[in-house]
Amino acid sequence: MSSNDLRDVLNLPDSSSASGTPGGSHRPSKKQRLSAPRSNLKGLAREVQSLGGDNPIAIVPEVSSFKKRRLANRKPAARWDLAPFRNSARDDPSLMLRHWRRRDGQHGLQQQEQQQHGTNADASAQPTTEQNGAQVKQEGDNEIEDSAFAKFNVRPSIPQYTDEQYKTHLKSDDWSKEETDYLMELVTDFDVRWPLIWDRYEWNPPATNGVADADGDESKAVVPKQEARSMEDLKSRYYEIAAKMMAAQKPIHVMSQAEFELHEMMLHFNAQQEKARKDFALNALKRSREEAREEESLLLEVKRILARSERFNEERRELYNRLDFPQSEQDISSIKTSQGLQNLLQQLMAADKNKKRRSLMGADNAHPANAAAAAAAAQAQAQAQAQAQAQESSRRESTVASTGATSTPTGGKKKGNQQAERPKLTEKEEQVYGVSHHDRLTSGPVFRSEKINKMFTHKSNQQQQRINNVLLELDIPPKLVMPTVATTQQFEQLFAAVNALLDARKVADKLDTELKLEQAKKAEREAKESSNHGEEDPAQDKSNPDMPVTKGDESASKEDNAETGTTSEAQETTEPAADPNGEEPGTQDPVEGEGSKEAAAEESSGGPHKRSASVLSTTSDKSAKRQKK
Amino acid sequence: MAQQPLSSAVPPTDIYGGDEVSALVLDPGYCSTRAGWAGEDVPKSILPSFYGHIGSTNTNLFGDEYLIPREGLEVRNYMNRDSVVEDWDVAPKFWENMLVKRLQPERPTAPGKNGLNDDPKKDGEGDVSMDGATAEAAAEAQEEQEQEKALQENPLLVTEAPWNTSKAREKTTEVIMETWGCPAFWLSRTPTLSAFAAGKATALVIDIGGSNTNVTAVHDGMVLKRSIQRSPVGGLWLSSQIRSMFEHAEPKVALTPTYLIENKTPVDALAPAQARLRKFPFQIADSFRRYEEERVLTEFKESVVEVWRGNPGPYRAQGTEDFIKTQPGRVFEMPDGYNQMWREQRYRASEGMFDESVGYPLPEAERITKEQTIPSLIRAALEAVDVDLRPNLLGNVVVTGATSLINGFNDRLNNELIGMYPGVKIKIHAAGLTSERRFGAWVGGSILSSLGTFHQMWISRKEYEENGPGIVEKRCK
Ligand SMILES: Nc1ncnc2c1ncn2[C@@H]1O[C@H](COP(=O)(O)OP(=O)(O)O)[C@@H](O)[C@H]1O
Ligand SMILES: [Mg+2]
Repeated sequence: MSSNDLRDVLNLPDSSSASGTPGGSHRPSKKQRLSAPRSNLKGLAREVQSLGGDNPIAIVPEVSSFKKRRLANRKPAARWDLAPFRNSARDDPSLMLRHWRRRDGQHGLQQQEQQQHGTNADASAQPTTEQNGAQVKQEGDNEIEDSAFAKFNVRPSIPQYTDEQYKTHLKSDDWSKEETDYLMELVTDFDVRWPLIWDRYEWNPPATNGVADADGDESKAVVPKQEARSMEDLKSRYYEIAAKMMAAQKPIHVMSQAEFELHEMMLHFNAQQEKARKDFALNALKRSREEAREEESLLLEVKRILARSERFNEERRELYNRLDFPQSEQDISSIKTSQGLQNLLQQLMAADKNKKRRSLMGADNAHPANAAAAAAAAQAQAQAQAQAQAQESSRRESTVASTGATSTPTGGKKKGNQQAERPKLTEKEEQVYGVSHHDRLTSGPVFRSEKINKMFTHKSNQQQQRINNVLLELDIPPKLVMPTVATTQQFEQLFAAVNALLDARKVADKLDTELKLEQAKKAEREAKESSNHGEEDPAQDKSNPDMPVTKGDESASKEDNAETGTTSEAQETTEPAADPNGEEPGTQDPVEGEGSKEAAAEESSGGPHKRSASVLSTTSDKSAKRQKK
Repeated sequence: MAQQPLSSAVPPTDIYGGDEVSALVLDPGYCSTRAGWAGEDVPKSILPSFYGHIGSTNTNLFGDEYLIPREGLEVRNYMNRDSVVEDWDVAPKFWENMLVKRLQPERPTAPGKNGLNDDPKKDGEGDVSMDGATAEAAAEAQEEQEQEKALQENPLLVTEAPWNTSKAREKTTEVIMETWGCPAFWLSRTPTLSAFAAGKATALVIDIGGSNTNVTAVHDGMVLKRSIQRSPVGGLWLSSQIRSMFEHAEPKVALTPTYLIENKTPVDALAPAQARLRKFPFQIADSFRRYEEERVLTEFKESVVEVWRGNPGPYRAQGTEDFIKTQPGRVFEMPDGYNQMWREQRYRASEGMFDESVGYPLPEAERITKEQTIPSLIRAALEAVDVDLRPNLLGNVVVTGATSLINGFNDRLNNELIGMYPGVKIKIHAAGLTSERRFGAWVGGSILSSLGTFHQMWISRKEYEENGPGIVEKRCK
């Protein structure tokens, strides 16, 4: 019965006739079409399907064929036996347990036979006579499988001692032999697991006077002989025994390294220290919530500080690396030409690039996990670089101002930017950025410290020494540690001041000697006059011309003194000494004019005359401090 | 059928270290006794430890299906409230009922006894010769005995409370060896096994069971005896809290067990129940009613009672109860149809577990002290172990026992522990599966006794015969 038949029965118009064509002509063709794809359906299924007519029912016909046989299953099913096995790790290895084992071929057959045997033996062995047990064992030895897990039964070796050994080596006031035995027994039972040993340690000293049985227990309970042993007591006793027995069995000098170390460790077990440690641990556990939180935050802080100081050190190291320049011993003739300079420039640029990349990579490698720290470090580095660049650029600026054409190694590009948008800087800003203006500059990079060196080397040897002495006196290193703009400037001023002072003293000394010479002449003249008046004291005449000579010597030695050590005092004394002479202001003037103009601006308290050396020393102190910073 | 081919060459012992030897595991508890095959994940047979006793015939009926209203039926428990076996006449029978009757296949009667091979002639004159009869009886008795020793092929692992007495242990050993003829056995304490079930050898086990709660530190698979703490704060204590709560409710709630209800009509909340009670032509024992009430209470615990988690404040704090009153409650319909919404009461009933000052008034005997609350038990247990172990134990807290299934218990416990030990990492392991929590000790025993490495531990028959029942004290430490 198809849907069309159904429709006929129900007097429904044919669905296809709705389109206007007569139903009859369509019927067969439709039937064909419908039946074509469903030809495989039979019986009721086909009937049900055809009920749907033009709108096929959404029923997925069940394919009623069996699943394909699995290829792997062609073999006969594996046979499994309930096979008995022993466990040789047992104290009583005769116990026979049974588990399922796959039987494989010949061996399996044997096993089965033997298994039957085994069960027989098992059953008959129930009231285990010794014989039977032995038989089982014998059988087991050659055929019955041993448990694969037997090998996991490992026991630590526990030291053992005889009565004799105990008497000679192990006697202790605190421990009776019985208690020691008990301890060793527990250690063996619990495989040296101390928490368990201590937990189960219940030593009842045996009753002494034969009051053992009846009420002995009670008396023991009432009068505990000693207070409970702590875990440390137990440990130290055990280690003591273990170490001594070890040494008794094998003299220390024949022990292997590992053995000796173990021996030493056990011998030096420090119960006190352990106890103290546990007290600490106990305290740590008893912390209140606030304390715990505080500790946590402190720990965090420490971590951060450590990280920061590390970073700081890193930065500083890098900075030093940058500041460090190699003292070239090489022949510089190759870079005297502009071509040579160009080459050198290229080399330096390449080296610089390498260095930078390496340091960056280094920072990354140092904190591979700690991304935040790395980022921070990178930032810091970037800052450091920016600073360095600012300094460099200031230098660059100066070079640009003078020569214009020469480009500095670290970046012509950047310079271009700066030129394009160079703002007018106020004086303060100039100071901040380290911009300085020069009338004339030598071409190429110059080290600031070199400038000072130059000032130094222009002087004669003797003068250099004197200057050094003065600087030593002021506690300023002759070579600046960190020649920043400010420090070099100050140092230059100081240098000039020292020079002026030295010059002044030279002049003063000269005048002094001249004065004395004149005075000697005068004295001679007077002597002559007096001799003209009457020759009474020729000795006086003679001594007078001598005096200035010795005085001159003295002043010379004084100068030596000043050179070797005392300066500020000497300088101070020179001033008042020079002052009354009247010529002093003239010689002192250059010192004030050159050296302390800025110092005077800073410290207006000091009068122009009182200043020279003391002020100098204060300013130089400042610069020294700055250097140290 | 499994689609992927099983490599059947060797059982994969190397993977999980298992080696099945058809061992049985028996876990007797106060509320229920569980028995099953080692290596399975749930006990096959779970019976209430309560059994029916009919005084007139002196018969004992084991199993829930026998605990029905019946003339002269009394409900008893073979254990005492300490979870230690008390009735040594019944316990072996009870256990045997589970281990043999409910776990082993029915054994065919011996051919000589099944009646098919009887000689009709002999039957006729059997009564005549007394000698023959006695001989036969003796043979029968022997046969019976042999048949009674039905566990000759199965090693047996039995659990016990950590404070089990040595007398009870030896008695158990005797029963196992003499009565059942097991080839080997082992006794293990429940905390150890619960720890194993959680996959830990070292743990602080908090077992909130039926008649009591115990907190025990387990180190390396062994109970630390000094740490064992216990208190009656368990399922039964909670039941009495709920009873007291019903007493103090307004209106009073009657606890009518299900068996008494013949029919009921639904009523509105707080309206008096409309139910017709069943009448029995015989006296129903109080113990039976109590047992039935306990079933209702367990249902109530499962569905209504909750532990106050401590947010926003402790329960005893001012205003907490008022706050809870604004929160959604739970409705419970009693067997007689009475129903009511429970709000703060359902927290208050369980609060006594943590805070002895809150809770419903109890008779003197059941009242608990501060030392018996769970936080105090934990503190005391930890105090009794070495300092070095404590942080490790707190990082491995295992919660087990059916009463720990109350909603919010673990959250509360966690909060309490964090409050008690700030600065220590605390991790609570509580099985997510209800069955694992209820049968924690059994599951642990199942794991343990199917391990290949455990077979060296079994106490064998030979060892028993050489040493006597005292061996259990020596070996199962
Ligand atoms: N889902 C649950 N929520 C709360 N309590 C429950 C739940 N299921 C059972 N209990 C209670 O737990 C107790 C049984 O705990 P269990 O651990 O089986 O005890 P035992 O080990 O002593 O037999 C009973 O008092 C019962 O009322
Ligand atoms: Mg339990």
